[in-house]
Amino acid sequence: MIPAGFEYFAPSSLKEAVELLSHYKDDVKILAGGQSLVPLMKLRLAKPKYVIDLNRVGDLNYIREAGGAVHIGALATHSEIERSEVVRRDCRLLAQTAATIADTQVRNRGTLGGSLAHADPAGDMPAAIFALDAEMKASGPSGERWIKAEDFFVGFLTSALEADEILTEIKLPVTRGEKSAYLKAAQRASGFAVVGVAVRLKLGANGVCDDIAIGVTGVTDKAYRAKNVERALKGARLEDDPIERAANRVVDGIDPLEDINGSKDYRAHLARVYTARAIKAALQS
Amino acid sequence: MKRTISVTINGRRYEEDVEPRQLLPHFLREQIGLTGTHVGCVIGECGACTLLLDGKLVKSCLLFAVQADGKEITTIEGLAKNGALHPVQEAFVEKYGFQCGYCTPGMIMAAHALLQDNSDPSEEEIRRCLAGNLCMCTGYAQIIDSVKEAAKKIKS
Amino acid sequence: MAEKFIGKPTRSKEGPRHATGCGHFTDDIVLPGMLQAMILRSPHAHARIVGGDAQSALELPGVMTALIPSDIVAHTKPFKPGRYAAGLRKPIAEYATAVEKVRYMGEPVAAVAARDRGTAEDALELITIDYDALPAVVETADAMKPGSALLYEELESNIAWKGGLSYGDIDGAFKAADKIVKEHLKIHRYSSTPLEPFAIIADYDAASRKLTVWVNAQVPEVIYDALREALELEDIRVIIPDIGGGFGQKIHLIRKYVVIVSLLAIRSGRPVKWIEDRSEHMMAAGHSCAQEFEVEAGVKKDGTVLGLKFREIDDVGGTTSTLTIHFTNKLNNLVNTYKVQNIALEGWSVLTNKCPVIPNRGIGKPGMCYIWERAMDRIAEELGLSPIDVRRINLIRPEQMPYTTPSGNVYDSGDYPGLLETALEKIGYDKLREEQKRARASGRLLGLSVVIGVEPGGRNAARDIAIFPEMKESPGSGGVNGATIKLEKNGTIALYLGSPNCGQSHETTTAQVAADVLGIPPEKISISTPFDSDLAPWGVSAANSGNNFHLYDIGAVHGAATKLKEKILAIAAHILRANPADLRIEDGAVRAPGSPVKKITLAELGKIVYGNQAMLPKGAEAGLQATYYYTFPHAEPNMVPGPDRKVRAQFTFSAAAHAAVVEVDRETGKVHVLRYLIVGDNGTVIHPNVVNGQIYGSAAHGISVALGEGFVYNADGQLLTLTLTDYGKSSTEETPKVEIVHKPSPSPFTTLGQKAAGEGAAIPSPAAIASAVEDALKPLGVKVRDLPLSPERVWNLIQEARR
Repeated sequence: MIPAGFEYFAPSSLKEAVELLSHYKDDVKILAGGQSLVPLMKLRLAKPKYVIDLNRVGDLNYIREAGGAVHIGALATHSEIERSEVVRRDCRLLAQTAATIADTQVRNRGTLGGSLAHADPAGDMPAAIFALDAEMKASGPSGERWIKAEDFFVGFLTSALEADEILTEIKLPVTRGEKSAYLKAAQRASGFAVVGVAVRLKLGANGVCDDIAIGVTGVTDKAYRAKNVERALKGARLEDDPIERAANRVVDGIDPLEDINGSKDYRAHLARVYTARAIKAALQS
Repeated sequence: MKRTISVTINGRRYEEDVEPRQLLPHFLREQIGLTGTHVGCVIGECGACTLLLDGKLVKSCLLFAVQADGKEITTIEGLAKNGALHPVQEAFVEKYGFQCGYCTPGMIMAAHALLQDNSDPSEEEIRRCLAGNLCMCTGYAQIIDSVKEAAKKIKS
Repeated sequence: MAEKFIGKPTRSKEGPRHATGCGHFTDDIVLPGMLQAMILRSPHAHARIVGGDAQSALELPGVMTALIPSDIVAHTKPFKPGRYAAGLRKPIAEYATAVEKVRYMGEPVAAVAARDRGTAEDALELITIDYDALPAVVETADAMKPGSALLYEELESNIAWKGGLSYGDIDGAFKAADKIVKEHLKIHRYSSTPLEPFAIIADYDAASRKLTVWVNAQVPEVIYDALREALELEDIRVIIPDIGGGFGQKIHLIRKYVVIVSLLAIRSGRPVKWIEDRSEHMMAAGHSCAQEFEVEAGVKKDGTVLGLKFREIDDVGGTTSTLTIHFTNKLNNLVNTYKVQNIALEGWSVLTNKCPVIPNRGIGKPGMCYIWERAMDRIAEELGLSPIDVRRINLIRPEQMPYTTPSGNVYDSGDYPGLLETALEKIGYDKLREEQKRARASGRLLGLSVVIGVEPGGRNAARDIAIFPEMKESPGSGGVNGATIKLEKNGTIALYLGSPNCGQSHETTTAQVAADVLGIPPEKISISTPFDSDLAPWGVSAANSGNNFHLYDIGAVHGAATKLKEKILAIAAHILRANPADLRIEDGAVRAPGSPVKKITLAELGKIVYGNQAMLPKGAEAGLQATYYYTFPHAEPNMVPGPDRKVRAQFTFSAAAHAAVVEVDRETGKVHVLRYLIVGDNGTVIHPNVVNGQIYGSAAHGISVALGEGFVYNADGQLLTLTLTDYGKSSTEETPKVEIVHKPSPSPFTTLGQKAAGEGAAIPSPAAIASAVEDALKPLGVKVRDLPLSPERVWNLIQEARR
């Protein structure tokens, strides 16, 4: 239960953090909220020699709207996101998703940046990130770059961040007034997503779907965007039948995970059910 | 290599040397001598170690003691004042919101945080706020009664 | 005795310390120079140990001592097969760690003690144990196949025990039956996962050869026996501080760790502490037994059960030391609440490469109740009767109490039809059936059930002789436990209990009883904690197990308080020159009614009995202290089984009817518990909050078990559920609200009419959920046989029914 020994750094600036990371990149872990990293270290599944704690870097925790986008610092916690007026107004789906994460204590401590960089296939936030067309800012020794959601999640616990890069900001286009929902089949003890589906949609005249974005988590080794479902529904009237027909395609071409929380078949089935339910819930929102 | 941290615990300031890998509950229990913060799991699934860090409810077993440098901590030992139980503690005693007592400190801290935020929580809100604190003995029924009773006490 | 406090919600004695974080748990204790231990565990489910080396670990600065299997063999003796190993056909040497083979993932193989825990964990990574991996035997069906890899070669089979017994005329009953109803049922592996894991401190005084251990064990005798057998020590002191939950989990396997930690203390010359990790607890602290039942009931057309027989296959895991406990416990509630006269049972204990099984919230009794209640539903279905009517016709009637069951249990009291009818009324059964019709018409899967079960209390040590008449060493009989009570010099009362407490408010409850006997308020009664074997008046029933407390501890406290009262009155009578029969204790003084001057305060009395010989009656014993060891005065007949094998497995019988209303999500298989109601008979209720707390807690566990918590192994015998998360423990959000109605029938045999209130609601609740889920799925023709009813299993049942 006691992690292997490590050297601890608490840099006070991003520049310093990036320098430390570049220097120790082969055997280092970045500590944000620690709600995933600390358990791994306690189990000694992660045994970094160096830990860089970002919590003393002053300018990584903010939520603000500017230039048609919501900018969220990597260290903003799930609770802060859940309660943020800006988020609730301009990209409500993110607040809806944050509210379902784990429990009060984890939401108070866990960060958006940390949960995305951890790239847990059962994480809730990646689903919302897809449905909100978010982009992630990576800061490294050679400067900053923006990574789109579809490029960010590479595989099981693997993101597109380079070993010397830190995720510093998440940028989400303002989607004020759009309908949205995040629903999940939650694991019974922890509430993490066996399958989670985030939906954001715009309704046009006569109940026709002008735009829809669907992020799916828990189903396979990384979160993904259900483009075939979106295609089937764009321009369609969002009634039960077309929704369910479209939702049935959510796992086309996807290889579902199999673990103690669900077999391949059951997960695929849940993904279909929850996709339809999340679309309907978004319509009701 | 040990580092020196300065931390305020239940209103008293401490300067202590800690190994980076030392977890916060072990620091509180073994170094400060406050054994009310309990440890019941490994990956933070039980909530027995719950306390307030800068006023926010957290699971201390998912924090290293070094991370508490410069922060304020309130543990279960910080609730009772001058020998009088805090209303949340009193409600748990009266309504038998405990059995073996092992989850109780964390449960009371979670209830305390909830009631600071929401003075009149519904049963659903209570259940949602306490979902990170497991109890194997009570089936939660009398814990939920205790939180309702505590809300009443605080209001009156 | 005027009942001023019994039955009232008196203030908790334990509450204030727990609510302030001042509970006294083992991990809170620090001794000077104390080391921290860690245990190395097998990564394999099945392997031969071919070597081991701790040299590198010992060279790590801060490491003081280490143990590998060869040290265990050199310095300890194997445990004697105890009562839990009854039925073992050849002696099997079981040491505190694995020595030749490992037989389950997580089996302890080595240990280390260091100056701090981090160093001890670092050192574990430096210990090498060499293994030759063997094929893992995971499923009982595979374990029983000829040619399967053997866990114990000397037993020549993985079927370590087979046996059975029969009461009445089972063949006659089946011949007379109109119909034979058959069913095949399964219950999975689970645990009650106390929040505080195992915690031990050992301190050895080499000069006097005295070993002191602080341990959160439920049964001091198990610790005593283990240390005597394994370390051949005579002088042992067992101190049991507050226990952070027990439920049976801390009875048996904890002995291994007490021996390991004690040996580390002996070898290092330092006190050693060991605190188990949650994952260690999940893999190696013990599981309940996965049980499989082939059930046959011979019934008449009207639903009367003439006979029941079942074969039970128990997956006992990787040791032989708890071989038959889940089977032998079937004798405790063998006929449940029913008047069946003919019953036959057969048990197979099958070894597998999984965690050993241990007692756990009812050991085997939830299985027995599951057999009966599932059978009742199946009988109703096959005969086209209402499941309620089938229960009604078979229930033992209140006018038959006390009732002797065919296996010799004597049910002390109970109104089972009353419990059932009250449950129907309070849940609104008829209205719910109407609502169900409407729900079904609109496609909703609504289900309801009413089941019933007994909760036996007070263990009889002689029970297993009924199943193993060839037992060489007597397991004892009946039960004994004591209590000591003392008037202190200042007039307060000190009470020393004979048992540890793991969350059932023993201090609060015993203070109520002593208060009523003595006429002194509970707040003037101080209960001595922790349990200390050097001081406590303890006997074989000093066990936080077997639902013993209400019988043996309450009996002992009542007896000791009564003795003390007689002594107080005798001495006071001498001082006041009054007749003892005329005196009473009131407001902290002994008074002679009608004479306002004739009184002596308890504080004055205290001063006299401990310091003023001249005022004492000549030749009388000084001091005011009484110890009473209680045995159950109504333990006959059937205390010790004779050739008819009739035995009282336990001595009191609480009971409850459980009603559940569930709705199944047709698309996902998720079961939502909409209502859960319990109508309970726990005899005289001493403290309503304490009894309700036990009911709420055991119900929540049984419901959680039915709906998905449990252990999962893969085909290689690797445990996949190493955290409470993966294990699926219910939080506040999944745990349903439970409604409780009391309908007590006090026991005519116990001190106050009290009966057990502990594991009770964990016994019928799995059956209640299974029954309600099957009822919900009735339109689809689904049969519920196996637990747990996780969403995926329910979804699969729905898919299979559609095919």
